[in-house]
Amino acid sequence: MASVAELRAAVDAALQQVTEGQAAIQAAREKLGEAQQSLAAALDGSANDAVGAAHASLSQADQQLEECFGATLLAVEQAQTYTATL
Amino acid sequence: MSLLQELGAQLRATSDELPTGLVTVAMERLRTATELLNWVRQTSVDPIGVPQLGNATEHAEHAAAALRLAQDAIAAYLAALGLAADSGAPPDQDWKAGLEKKDKQDEPAPAPGQEQQPPPEQLGPWWRERVEQLTGEAPPPPQPNGAPPERTADTAELLRRVAAGVRSGDRARLGRDLHGVNAATGLGLSAVTPPVLRRLAGDLLGHEPGPDDLQRLRGAAGGRVKSLLPGTPPATLDTLLARICRTPPAEQAPAHPADSAVTASVLTGVLLARLGRDPATLDPGAPEPLRPRGVDA
Repeated sequence: MASVAELRAAVDAALQQVTEGQAAIQAAREKLGEAQQSLAAALDGSANDAVGAAHASLSQADQQLEECFGATLLAVEQAQTYTATL
Repeated sequence: MSLLQELGAQLRATSDELPTGLVTVAMERLRTATELLNWVRQTSVDPIGVPQLGNATEHAEHAAAALRLAQDAIAAYLAALGLAADSGAPPDQDWKAGLEKKDKQDEPAPAPGQEQQPPPEQLGPWWRERVEQLTGEAPPPPQPNGAPPERTADTAELLRRVAAGVRSGDRARLGRDLHGVNAATGLGLSAVTPPVLRRLAGDLLGHEPGPDDLQRLRGAAGGRVKSLLPGTPPATLDTLLARICRTPPAEQAPAHPADSAVTASVLTGVLLARLGRDPATLDPGAPEPLRPRGVDA
């Protein structure tokens, strides 16, 4: 049977992992923004289907990362509420 | 270099620099957090954020898939321009992302007189007890002078040490290295190993691992993992191999978070040994190892 201190420490360790995940998400979004700009500058005026697909996929990736980040914020809030009740 | 070649080089660079590695890091951190919270959840009816973390992980998976589609689209465009064969594809670098040292430059410096003291290790006994069950090796006795043991706080360094212990087949050394870290460093193994395992398995097989490779990988690594970790539940290794092969793992009760971390690190060492590679090749700064066409696994 785990003690309260162990449960609290396990949640803290999980939140540390989430924080590091959030940092990676933010860094990924920054790099993604740079890639989108670079692609837009290089392929300005192209009507090729593959170019359209590349732009769409990058936008989709960014949107997913934004939603991912939002979900982690909710998770952190719930986990903190739980530890407050321990 | 013609204008067309210059455009091709620029597009290739953009494709190579897409943050697939960072997204993988995020995904694995969230999975590790979920494992920990699932363990806590066994004692509570509170969801403790687990469903939200599941959603977050799913979004990260979709982002990774979208990035791969973007890379495919750029490759298709280059092919349409007749530039696809200009240079070989660079080796997959994603496995390095989780092993890179953290950049401490952005962290605020502590105020004078308030230098950071490591927080008390609440999970230390919890971690060491499980390591003992997994390895069969008891924690080392306290030092005679009462000084705290020197602990590495670097998960990537721990992974290299574990791989060295696996290579030498020395279970006592493996136990010492795993006992010799705090829980956070040890649990970090869960987050850094998945892309490394997939890369090593791919090198061993000679192709990207798929569902058909599950048995082959189990045969190549299962026995050695079991001999070094006699206490590891069989389901833990099966789940790790299933993830490598991108096949759904069998349903099971939430495992102890240390099981996955420790077993994944030993599996990394076993695959590395099967490839005849030195643990130092796990250093992100080490030269890229030659990828074999396929080793008899």
